[in-house]
Amino acid sequence: MLLQLKNIFKWVNSGGQRIFLLKDVNLEVSEGEFISIMGPSGSGKSTLLNVIGMLDGFDEGEYHFLDESVHSLKEKHRSNLYKEYIGFVFQSYHLLDDLTVKENLEMPLLYKKYGSSERKAKVADMLDRFNIVGKKDLFPAQLSGGQQQLVGIARALISNPKLILADEPTGNLNSKQGEEIMELFKKLNDEGVTIIQVTHSEKNAAYGSRIINLLDGRMV
Amino acid sequence: MFKNYLKIAVRSISKNKTYSFINIGGLALGLTVAMLIGLWIHDEKTFNTNFKNHDHIAQVLVNKTNNGEIRTRFTLPYPLAAELRSVYAGDFKYVVMSSFPGDNVLSFKEKNQNQYGAYMEKDALRLFSFTMLKGNHNALNDPNAIVLSASAANALFGNEEPIGKTMRLNDNFVVTVKGVFEDLPTNANVFEPLAAFSESKKLDFIAPWDLYVSMYEWVKTARDRKLWDNNSYQVYVAVSNQSTIEAVSHKIKNTLYDHVPDETKRSNPEIFLHPMKDWHLKSSFKNGLSYGGAIQYVRMFGIIGVFVLLLACINFMNLSTARSQKRAKEVGIRKTVGSNKNQLIEQFLFESLLVTCCAFAIACTLVVLLLPLFNQLADKQILFPYANPLFWCIGLGLISVTSLLAGSYPALYLSSFRPVRVLKGTIQAGKSAVSFRKVLVVVQFIVSIILVSGTMVVNQQIQHSKNRPIGYNKNGLIMIEKTTEAFEGKYNVLREAFKKSGAVAEMAESSNPMTEVWNSNGGYDWEGKNPDFITNIVNFYVSHDYGKTVGWEVKFGRNFSRDLASDSTAYILNEAAVEYMGLQDPVDKTIRWYDGEHKVIGVVKNMLTESPFEPVKQAIYSINYNETNWINLKLSPEKSITQSLEKIETEFAIFAPSIPFEFQFVDNAFGHKFKAEERMRKLSGIFSVLAIFISCLGLFGLSTFMAERRTKEIGIRKVLGASIMSLFKMLSRDFVLLVLFSGLIAIPVAYYVMQQWLENYTYHISIPWWVFGVAILSVMFIALFTISYQAARAAIVNPVKSLRTQ
Ligand SMILES: Nc1ncnc2c1ncn2[C@@H]1O[C@H](COP(=O)(O)OP(=O)(O)OP(=O)(O)O)[C@@H](O)[C@H]1O
Ligand SMILES: [Mg+2]
Repeated sequence: MLLQLKNIFKWVNSGGQRIFLLKDVNLEVSEGEFISIMGPSGSGKSTLLNVIGMLDGFDEGEYHFLDESVHSLKEKHRSNLYKEYIGFVFQSYHLLDDLTVKENLEMPLLYKKYGSSERKAKVADMLDRFNIVGKKDLFPAQLSGGQQQLVGIARALISNPKLILADEPTGNLNSKQGEEIMELFKKLNDEGVTIIQVTHSEKNAAYGSRIINLLDGRMV
Repeated sequence: MFKNYLKIAVRSISKNKTYSFINIGGLALGLTVAMLIGLWIHDEKTFNTNFKNHDHIAQVLVNKTNNGEIRTRFTLPYPLAAELRSVYAGDFKYVVMSSFPGDNVLSFKEKNQNQYGAYMEKDALRLFSFTMLKGNHNALNDPNAIVLSASAANALFGNEEPIGKTMRLNDNFVVTVKGVFEDLPTNANVFEPLAAFSESKKLDFIAPWDLYVSMYEWVKTARDRKLWDNNSYQVYVAVSNQSTIEAVSHKIKNTLYDHVPDETKRSNPEIFLHPMKDWHLKSSFKNGLSYGGAIQYVRMFGIIGVFVLLLACINFMNLSTARSQKRAKEVGIRKTVGSNKNQLIEQFLFESLLVTCCAFAIACTLVVLLLPLFNQLADKQILFPYANPLFWCIGLGLISVTSLLAGSYPALYLSSFRPVRVLKGTIQAGKSAVSFRKVLVVVQFIVSIILVSGTMVVNQQIQHSKNRPIGYNKNGLIMIEKTTEAFEGKYNVLREAFKKSGAVAEMAESSNPMTEVWNSNGGYDWEGKNPDFITNIVNFYVSHDYGKTVGWEVKFGRNFSRDLASDSTAYILNEAAVEYMGLQDPVDKTIRWYDGEHKVIGVVKNMLTESPFEPVKQAIYSINYNETNWINLKLSPEKSITQSLEKIETEFAIFAPSIPFEFQFVDNAFGHKFKAEERMRKLSGIFSVLAIFISCLGLFGLSTFMAERRTKEIGIRKVLGASIMSLFKMLSRDFVLLVLFSGLIAIPVAYYVMQQWLENYTYHISIPWWVFGVAILSVMFIALFTISYQAARAAIVNPVKSLRTQ
């Protein structure tokens, strides 16, 4: 088992009232799964994904990731765990504007303290795999949305994560670009990478092996 | 990793050119000012430290109490030096008597030059441990020797060997050059400002004391008759190595009192030692105690320097934090790809270190470029301290502190958030960040307003003192010092010749120059004088034509007249003297002095001959052709000044062929009295401009970010029908309020500081309130102007455009 959420609650206090963002979420994810999270807008999909990705905390419950208890870990330790195993893909790409494609790809490796030659090899490999060798010296602003998302995914993959979390990765793309990304996910999943994606599209969700539905922060 | 940081930093610097310019330029400017002021202070503080023994050297000064008022003087009687030497032999290493420094004529072959120097006892060279380039410290043992500075030797002899050359001193005495000493550094002087009278000049020569004694009969008399009551000499000492100046000073304090005649004992003369390190910085005395001097300016500019640097640092922090909002996204992304907190802190600190180093490098370059100009302004010869490790240490310290301060906020604040929050943009400008920035802006404006109003007060004070009535007419008035005997007994011939040449309207001689007071005396008596009142009155010995030449204003009575033989013993008083003596109807009253009775024939309006910031002292004018030191010439108004001067020089050469023709315009000499204040005005003016400029840079940057952040809001407001004017008002109102608030705090501070400064001057303005109004308004105007660019741009922009960018 890759990760397990037990009775997760998350809330915010607003005007003396407690508003629940996540309510009693229980989820087990095994390695190699491809899960799609669906639900109406505001139902808590992104919130759940961020909690899984350790980008956000929760208020109650237990979270185990590869036998580590995430809820009791120190920030530094959690950050290491995250760095080691998780890659994130965003709807709005979130590339660094001041860095070229190549440098954006290289960044996670720098934080993981890879040597220079190893970094070069990995970056070259990724550029090749995603067919963006010709774009390596361009800045994000010089790429199309689909190309930027390719770079985003390549960046998430470069340090060989076990788990890819994608929050509406095709939300800003046209249907053809979206399909290509989904094909890519499928292929990665076949290679053994676990994927959890948030999506509004039934068609995209169908790529996954399992669908989780959220409504008002509760799994249904 | 650092390569990656560097890349990001360099790219974001070059991408945001305006921002980088403001940020780096502002800091560089602040550092430049701080460095210049620092160098200046260092120069002032190291005054006279070139003398090896400087912490053991002192001058003997005396405090005298007259009518309840203590005055500090440097003039001492002849026998004191010998007394100190013999009675306190163990406490002193050297005791050296010296004449007052002054211009003397040094002649070699056809060359005649005015050189500045003094006559000193033979241990002088050892006492000050002069660096001898030629000869040794025994050079003054021979009574016909002279010791020259390297530059004086060069001026007289060029490349010839100076040692052993015979030359003439004041055209009368033959002396032999026995030594050449290295020129003193510019921040050194063997004479206190007090003893060197107004402008202290560079020391060109020292002649032996015995020569001085043989030159002047009155000195010889003072020596032979052991006159304890004739104060015409100064005394320098070096205390012995195992003693301190303080201890010895205490020990010797009654030495003078014990020997002076009973009459003089009434003024309770108490001698003390004034340490060499204080000669420059603490040269003023009030009520017998050290009362500032140049140290005041050192402190004042020190504070200004710290403030300007503070302004620049505040700016730097302010802009960095404002910008860090923009960097929030980057922080979020970096965190999601695996950066931990420390790495982010590292990155931000590295960036701010980089920027600070750039600014420091630019500042060093600016300092090197500006030093010549600064030296001219501050009357200094400061060099850039390339080889001074202390300078680089302080520089390093400054760099680290500044970059830490500026970088710590974004580093610690932003990196502490969970990445989702930063990515979502929900931490945008926390309330505390905004108010913190407002505080910083307020501090900047407080400093600016203080500096601006301070400069105006200094200016007012100078103007006020300059407009003060001086009681004579300095237009076309020149004065020539009679450095030799060549003119003695030739008064009438000279006057006739000058007048005949058509260049001179009138000529007179006087004991004092027009801008200084050289002697005062006690022992006056008149009808109705309180017997306990100890008198001290300034004496002007003048020729008959003095009043006409300088154009004084006779208030009562009349001028001296050649036709009345009795006028040779008559007195003319100034108004201050009339008040001092408490005379009613002074004309025709009699005043008694040692030499007999004198009739007062007139009263003139006060002539401003000393400090323009002090009240005019009581003075008596009397006829005495033997005691005059200065020739005063009123140029003829019919001729041009150059023409007149040429004629005068021709006549002068006929009477005194071996004396260089040197003169001063009274106007210039008078202007010199404002030198320190003028310098202060110039410097504080420049610093205020810089302070405002730096503040405005910051404000400009800040308003840019404010406008940027509110683009969307402005767009929506416009769509809903807001006018451009109302938007402009909305955007600038905050800043106006901030400036007003700053003014509220700045006024009392500025008032207090300037009041303290004005207390130094007896004759001073009361601070006019409009100064603060003008300061606040002008700062406000400049601030509004600065932000209006951004506010107007944001208000005018097409709303469709601004909404689409979101
Ligand atoms: N910091 C917060 N404070 C208050 N409410 C929040 C906060 N963050 C999220 N919410 C609320 O939590 C709910 C879930 O938000 P979330 O972003 O997870 O929705 P989502 O399912 O991803 O929606 P969408 O499909 O539109 O992206 C929303 O109602 C949102 O308003
Ligand atoms: Mg969402």
